[in-house]
Amino acid sequence: MGHGTTQQHDVIIIGGGGAGLRAAIAIAQENPSFSVACVSKVYPMRSHTVTAEGGAAASIKPNDSLEDHIYDTISGADWLADQDAVEYFVNEAPAEMIQLEHWGCPWSREPDGSVAVRPFGGMKIERTWFAADKTGFHMLHSLFQTTLKYGNIVRYDEHFATKLLLDDNGNCRGCAAIELRTGSTRAILGKSVIICTGGAGKAFPFTTNGSIKTGDGMAMAYRAGVALKDMEFIQYHPTGLPGTGILITEASRGEGGILVNKDGHRFLQDYDLGEALDVSDPRHPQKRAMELGPRDKLSQCFIKERDAGRTIETKDGHVMHLDLRHLGEAKIDKKIPFVRELARNYAGIDPVHQPIPVRPVVHYVMGGIDTDTDAATNIPGLYAAGECACVSINGANRLGSNSLTELLVFGAQAGRHAARFAMDHPDYDVSALEAQAADEGARVRRTYFDASRKGERIVTLRTELHDAMEDGAGIYRDADSLQAACATVTDLRERYRNVTLDDHTNSFNTELTAALELGSLLEVAEAMANSGLKRTESRGSHQRTDHPERNDDDFLAHSMAFRQEGGAPPRIDYKPVTITKWPPGARTYGAGSGLKKPAGETT
Amino acid sequence: MSGQYHRPHRWAWFLERPGYMRFMVRELTSFFVGGYLVVFLITLARLGGGEAAFAEWVAALASPGWMAAHIVALVAAVWHAVTWFAAVPQAMPIYLGEERLPAPIAAIVMGYGPWLTVTAVIVWWVLR
Amino acid sequence: MPAQDTMTLEIFRYHPETDSEPRFQSFEVPYNEDWVVLDAMNWIKDHVDGSLTHRWSCRMGVCGSCGMMVNGEPKLTCAAFLKDYYPFSIKVEPLVNFAVERDLVVSLDGFMEKLQAVKPYIVRDDVNDTSGGEYMQTPAQLAQYKQYSMCINCMLCYAACPVAGHEDEFLGPAALALGHRYNKDSRDQGQSERLDVMLMGEAIWGCTFVGECTEVCPKHVDPAGAIQQAKAGAAQEYFKRFVAPKGAGA
Repeated sequence: MGHGTTQQHDVIIIGGGGAGLRAAIAIAQENPSFSVACVSKVYPMRSHTVTAEGGAAASIKPNDSLEDHIYDTISGADWLADQDAVEYFVNEAPAEMIQLEHWGCPWSREPDGSVAVRPFGGMKIERTWFAADKTGFHMLHSLFQTTLKYGNIVRYDEHFATKLLLDDNGNCRGCAAIELRTGSTRAILGKSVIICTGGAGKAFPFTTNGSIKTGDGMAMAYRAGVALKDMEFIQYHPTGLPGTGILITEASRGEGGILVNKDGHRFLQDYDLGEALDVSDPRHPQKRAMELGPRDKLSQCFIKERDAGRTIETKDGHVMHLDLRHLGEAKIDKKIPFVRELARNYAGIDPVHQPIPVRPVVHYVMGGIDTDTDAATNIPGLYAAGECACVSINGANRLGSNSLTELLVFGAQAGRHAARFAMDHPDYDVSALEAQAADEGARVRRTYFDASRKGERIVTLRTELHDAMEDGAGIYRDADSLQAACATVTDLRERYRNVTLDDHTNSFNTELTAALELGSLLEVAEAMANSGLKRTESRGSHQRTDHPERNDDDFLAHSMAFRQEGGAPPRIDYKPVTITKWPPGARTYGAGSGLKKPAGETT
Repeated sequence: MSGQYHRPHRWAWFLERPGYMRFMVRELTSFFVGGYLVVFLITLARLGGGEAAFAEWVAALASPGWMAAHIVALVAAVWHAVTWFAAVPQAMPIYLGEERLPAPIAAIVMGYGPWLTVTAVIVWWVLR
Repeated sequence: MPAQDTMTLEIFRYHPETDSEPRFQSFEVPYNEDWVVLDAMNWIKDHVDGSLTHRWSCRMGVCGSCGMMVNGEPKLTCAAFLKDYYPFSIKVEPLVNFAVERDLVVSLDGFMEKLQAVKPYIVRDDVNDTSGGEYMQTPAQLAQYKQYSMCINCMLCYAACPVAGHEDEFLGPAALALGHRYNKDSRDQGQSERLDVMLMGEAIWGCTFVGECTEVCPKHVDPAGAIQQAKAGAAQEYFKRFVAPKGAGA
């Protein structure tokens, strides 16, 4: 063990999911002489992008327009998205998606051979590209396999980054990372760094997120002095399997599936989401309405319906039914085969013959590392992209199928800008950074391998964190619940300083990585709860029962959580939202909602 | 560090899974197919050696031992053919537009169908 | 009477720093009919022995991390339900045909090299030019390779393949299926480059069509079929090159 060999490259990417791999290709392609390091705690094809199901949005069809995609995204975000960022994102999306098509992604097709699209929630016009219902899987593998073409992309698989390394000028120049196979901490150095480490859904007990989604990159940037932006906005996906939290894609509703309560009633019509058209009506499923409303609203409707006693009680809690039976076996097998596979394997339900029990489940963190539209943070040379970042295009509620596209657009953007920074700022002092990495390795050993410690097990603290976040920062929150969550998280951070491991060995110490992950989650959860407490309004996914209205006068602004030393709660500042052409308006769904076009234009 | 652990070589690997045993049986049937071919070649050679030699060889083949050997070879050859017909749809997929011809039908189209046709033609030719 | 039903897991343990030989360790876990083998392993790691080492992430059968031998069968442990083994004990071992790093963790180094060797990406001159819009591909053309694109790299097929266990030169089921996937993609023009790799030594010819890779594949990729199809293509190419050696003509 001790400290391992130092590695030097031009750009260091931490995270090997969709955004990280897209960034790597962007750099490798445009700077063939550059050496790009991709540092990931897992093999890239295990990254959580792999589980995304329904699709990725980009406006390419003649009946669609960039303006509609922009408006759907901004209104979906409850006007908390930065409009310059959204415009950039929507404009870049088609070329990025076509690029991925060229790299082999097996998009589902129309009979003429063009790419097929399907509708998703909160969209006025169907624009979601899909590869059946394994879109994320195919995107990730296409990207990963494409990286294998480039000899200048060097992978550090199963390397757990624990600290960003900053030079004397405050530029980010790499990371300290534990090589899991040996347990040694290596300095992986470069002229610039991109964080693409994904979200932090594992702060919650009931989530679609895999075990690796522990906010490590968010926490690393936060510790280095970058603000975590809009962390109170946590997306609950309305349709997860009870018990396991396995995602049943929104595409099942895009293809025509309906949500019903215990009486078989399509209850969404009772909550201002439009008219319940018969499933045989050719206009069903209607865009921006009913089952194709946005995720935050649908999840909130479920809670209201549950509180009214109209949901179905099961051993895994209350559920509603997602009914796909009217789609028929052929359509289910062709368009959403994975839904059938998952429902059969994990719920014992065949959706061809029975409705699927579902309930809202933590799915996505809208907030993240504060970046601008260049994917740059406030630390020179440090960039971030993907779920770990907050540009922000997602605002208070992300639209389904924007996140996969975001990986591409801002992954590539981060790659280009990080490469430019590396060219402009090539020189740094290696030995000082090596020394920092060695100190970090020593700190990890000292902290976690102290045999004299008699603290608590990881699971004890993690379970309490889960309970605190679910109880305090769930779909509906108030000052008391958030205050309690803040207090618990602060207490857990204190107790975490004494967390005790069984395993003090070096090789593949996954108990150590679990402890480090818990440390990340505690930091991120603290930002979530405190940001939520300070935002005394309701907007998108952040619903305060004590402040039920949106308050644009005070809160049309991003919350910015800055970490404080000594275990104190974060300082929360605010940064105004960038509004360009779309002034805040009422967020409406149902027939006829969406961008109002000037007279004469058809919609 | 003592490093990675490598499992010892397993000489009896073919006993570990039923699929491996089926594979070995399939491969072994080829000895019978080959053996029968040798017998057939000898028969042809005897035919070239004159009527008496041929008659003597045919008489020898009528012994119970040879009869038993032929039955075993026939079973083995049939099994060999069946396993190959089962493999054909995997190795040579047929697509009708987006749909792949289901394996049982493909096995009939590419395996059993031609086999039975050729057999029928031979039977007709012999019996006509 | 016990308050709760339990089950026994017999788990393969090996630590590279202290062990020269592996051993088996028994753990008693609560029986929950919704649990998969992976849940039981995680319960052990959380509550009984934090040093138990295994890989996992998505717990929904798509990330490919948690492949292990469960009672001698290569399985995704997130898809192997305790109820299918109850009340008997379950033996959990690392995937066979791989070097063991620690406990249930095996080395993927060999596979990663083999995957890269088959050039699993679109080979085409204008691949980075998006100005002409998407490449057209009809649903029928998509169907030609779609099945082989479903591989999650879980390595169960290598654990089921007797050749992969004995012949290092053999590229193995998943890598060959992925090479074949690109050969069958109407957008690709790299078949000849890939066959250069496949025609070498035992790279593809090592396959004797045992077929167990297809039997254990959790995503119905049918690597055995893909390899036989690829062999047919390779044989044609071999013959063509024999008649007109590469470089001599066109």
